Amino acid sequence: MIPEAFPEIAWSALAPELVLVFGAVALLLLDVQRKPGVRVLWGTSLVILAVALALGVWQWIVATPGGEPIFGGMLIFDRSAALARLVVLGVSLQAIAAARSLFAHLGNRAAEGLALVLLAAAGFILMAASQNLVMMFLGLEVGSISLYILAGIAGDGVRSDEAALKYLLLGAVASAVFIYGAALVFAGTGSLDLLGVGGFLARNLVLSPAVLLVGIGLLTAGLSFKVAAAPFHVWAPDVYQGAPAGIVGYMAAVAKVGGFAALARVLLSGFDNFRPDWAPIVAGIAALSMVVGALMAIISSDIRRLLAYSGVAHAGFILTGLASGVEGSSSVWFYLAVYTVQLVAAFSVISVLGGAVSSGSDLTDYRGLYRRSPFLALVLSVSLLGMAGLPLTTGFVAKLGVFLSAWKGDLEWLVVVAVVASAMAIYLYLRVIVTMYMRSPTSDDMVLLDRPTAWSLGAATAVTVVLGVFPQPLLRLVETAGYL
Amino acid sequence: MLTLLVLTPLLGAVVVSLIPARRRELHLPLGIALSVAPLGLAGAMFFSFDAGEASFQMVEKMVWWEPWGVSWQLGVDGISLGMVALTAILFPISLVVSDSISHRRKAFVVAMLFLETGLIGAFLALDLLLFFVFFEVILVPMYLIIGVWGGKRRIYAAVKFFIYTAFGSALLLAAIIALAVMHASQTPDGLLSFDYLALLALDISPTAQMWLFGAFALAFAIKVPLFPFHTWLPDAHVEAPTAGSVLLAGVLLKLGTYGLLRFNLTLFPEATVSLVPVLAVLAVVGIIYGAVVAIVQPDLKKLVAYSSVSHLGFVVLGIFALTSAGLQGAVIQNVNHGLTTGALFLLVGMLYDRRHTKQISDFGGLATPAPLMAGFFLFMAFASVGLPGLNGFVGEFLVLVGSFPSLPSLTVVAAFGVVLAAIYMLWAYQRVFTGPVEGVENRKLADLSPKETAVLAPLAVLVLLLGLYPGILLERTAPSVESILDRIEQTTDYEAPSPGRLADVFDTASEDES
Repeated sequence: MIPEAFPEIAWSALAPELVLVFGAVALLLLDVQRKPGVRVLWGTSLVILAVALALGVWQWIVATPGGEPIFGGMLIFDRSAALARLVVLGVSLQAIAAARSLFAHLGNRAAEGLALVLLAAAGFILMAASQNLVMMFLGLEVGSISLYILAGIAGDGVRSDEAALKYLLLGAVASAVFIYGAALVFAGTGSLDLLGVGGFLARNLVLSPAVLLVGIGLLTAGLSFKVAAAPFHVWAPDVYQGAPAGIVGYMAAVAKVGGFAALARVLLSGFDNFRPDWAPIVAGIAALSMVVGALMAIISSDIRRLLAYSGVAHAGFILTGLASGVEGSSSVWFYLAVYTVQLVAAFSVISVLGGAVSSGSDLTDYRGLYRRSPFLALVLSVSLLGMAGLPLTTGFVAKLGVFLSAWKGDLEWLVVVAVVASAMAIYLYLRVIVTMYMRSPTSDDMVLLDRPTAWSLGAATAVTVVLGVFPQPLLRLVETAGYL
Repeated sequence: MLTLLVLTPLLGAVVVSLIPARRRELHLPLGIALSVAPLGLAGAMFFSFDAGEASFQMVEKMVWWEPWGVSWQLGVDGISLGMVALTAILFPISLVVSDSISHRRKAFVVAMLFLETGLIGAFLALDLLLFFVFFEVILVPMYLIIGVWGGKRRIYAAVKFFIYTAFGSALLLAAIIALAVMHASQTPDGLLSFDYLALLALDISPTAQMWLFGAFALAFAIKVPLFPFHTWLPDAHVEAPTAGSVLLAGVLLKLGTYGLLRFNLTLFPEATVSLVPVLAVLAVVGIIYGAVVAIVQPDLKKLVAYSSVSHLGFVVLGIFALTSAGLQGAVIQNVNHGLTTGALFLLVGMLYDRRHTKQISDFGGLATPAPLMAGFFLFMAFASVGLPGLNGFVGEFLVLVGSFPSLPSLTVVAAFGVVLAAIYMLWAYQRVFTGPVEGVENRKLADLSPKETAVLAPLAVLVLLLGLYPGILLERTAPSVESILDRIEQTTDYEAPSPGRLADVFDTASEDES
């Protein structure tokens, strides 16, 4: 079907992304024309993110909850996409506010770095809102390519180069897998539009679904790579360890939000009818991720690798919610929203301690952190306890939601695996906390941190605890995040 | 009022944490003062409690999140009453003896008050998820108390404690979720619910009961700790500071027996009846094992720790005797053990503060320089052994009387535990306090200070009170205990053996009165 005229576009629905993209361009131009200091560039990008976030909130309030397809059915900002936008922009703001020292270190590359951050955010938001597999691929690539560059942007050291190259090569393979999956889906259903796919499957009985099933499998595999779920996680520890500390949290968080949003949309919106076919696969990936992630994290002695593996385990928990179908989508969103905040906070602490660009983050450096900076020790502890899912943190509510929906979705065995994995995982978070509070420090220097970082960390800690005790506002928000 | 009772210590923790660190002389006195507030509230609760009522009293309910059926729901009955009172009593006492804590005192006081909120909350929670939250949250302050303020191997002990209990509670969470989902599938409106009273109405298949019972029982058995899950306990006790040991033995372990009594027996009656042999045997093994190991301990603190394993075996035996007297005995023995073992740990702590050793062989003849201390120790040892007239006798006697009709042979074996208790407690007393005084340090040992006496005296008074007039507690626990037995008899084909009911044992004229 060829549109007769240029389709009418509701530009306002896309306002936050337009602000991000034009903001990125403006940043680059500003850099070329005026050569302002890093502080100005960094401040401008914060303002851009804040404006985009405000527009996102505005869109949440004014847009119809179900969302209208825009751009000829390419994008749809339904509740889940609008929520993905809020999460991506929120954690971007959180991460960039804490990353001033990184951009100061980058010097004349700071503008590029900041522009890439904005572009990556826009890319992953569009990926989350994609109604069409090609659009999804575009969003994925815009986001991913920005991240590949960010991984190597500090460019000082073999680790960083290795991380960027590894991320690029494996990411490219994953993108190829994804697009091949999209092609097979098109071959099987004659549509790239997920609603069209869903409609086709609802109307027609697919007698030999092999092509379609392979397509679904490839899409799942490609996206599992993006969210670092086992067995597609092997890149994560190296990238988390090698990329500049100041930006790793951001990279991990937005990629996970975009990836899970896309995965949820593909599976729940497009292939809900095939749930009996894909649910066991997703559940298997989930179980494997939780167990492998927890076990590998326990034997890691580097805190970044530890967090990378724990991220694998968290991907497993989120997939546990996803495997239980549409019912579980609100628990997935709650989990994503709170986990990304904890993740970014943890990496912000790491970058304050180990330096924004360095790649050294051995666990022994955290000995006696309590003496050197009680605030940082507290922030990291709360984030880790949140990831461990201890009650009174958001992590507990998130895990509870996922477990409840999985148990309701007849995945009892997966819940049992999950609770055992989370009990194992407690040990690894505990190890870091023990190191911080109960060992003697290796140096007596007090750790200093700049004010925006302190604010960002303080806010993340407050969110983790306050929403952990009174999660009702966020629960109400995610309740609406279903899929068509 | 119960909400207030739960939240007062938390409020206290906030207040203390707001005092600047440099005013360190203020933290401990303030903490003690603030922990007296919940004691007052608990006292008010104890005496306004309606003794004739079996169901929950003073229930408070606030919905937390409707779609999940979770609410802030508190209530007290005969089973939780004594535990809450015990908790409220032991906290001020533990804080008073904590002035030997020299570093990070503010954090210590905050952790203690936080722990108190968790413990009182766990005993009062009527919502299973709320219970789980308290049950789990307790781990953090206790972990810190052991790990930061403990002895030489404190980190090992703290991590071991945390891992054991966290693993147990993981499966507990899964089982609680299973119950909530079961509620959704069995009610017409399909709503989840974690409400304990609503979950009692569930119709759970025997197989499901076995699994769920297993998950609950594992979590609680680790907490008790029941043999063979006890290996974390000696480490945790030996490394913990005095206050930590007192609370660990006095209150924390009781969460396990309380959980078995409150949840396993009522939610899974069929599984309970069929698993009685397993748990009763484990309990008796624990009684004998704990006692035998206690006898050979060269370390006084470890000796008291192993005696806990033995004493709590009695509590578990009483529970799974499934008779009125057994359950009554279990409930009251929970409180008794908290008082006597708490006092013994305090005494060991006082000895350690003076001599910086806990080895029995380093002491000897201490009754000469410290007669008051020796007196208290002997008194508490007698209470622990079960001398008639003191509280331990009431509890152990009820347990043995109650379990004999249903588990005669096991009861006979368990009774040896009482004999062994006499051996390890009195032998320890003999080696530490009697005989010739050796060494300058022992000869110059200071007797109890007025403050230490003031700390021990209330415990001694309570030990005597519960020994002479146990009715003050028993009359309050009886209706709740009977209702648990009623429930088991109604839902299964189990019948309490004669004389298993309270009316059989004490020929009361309660029916005429009512």
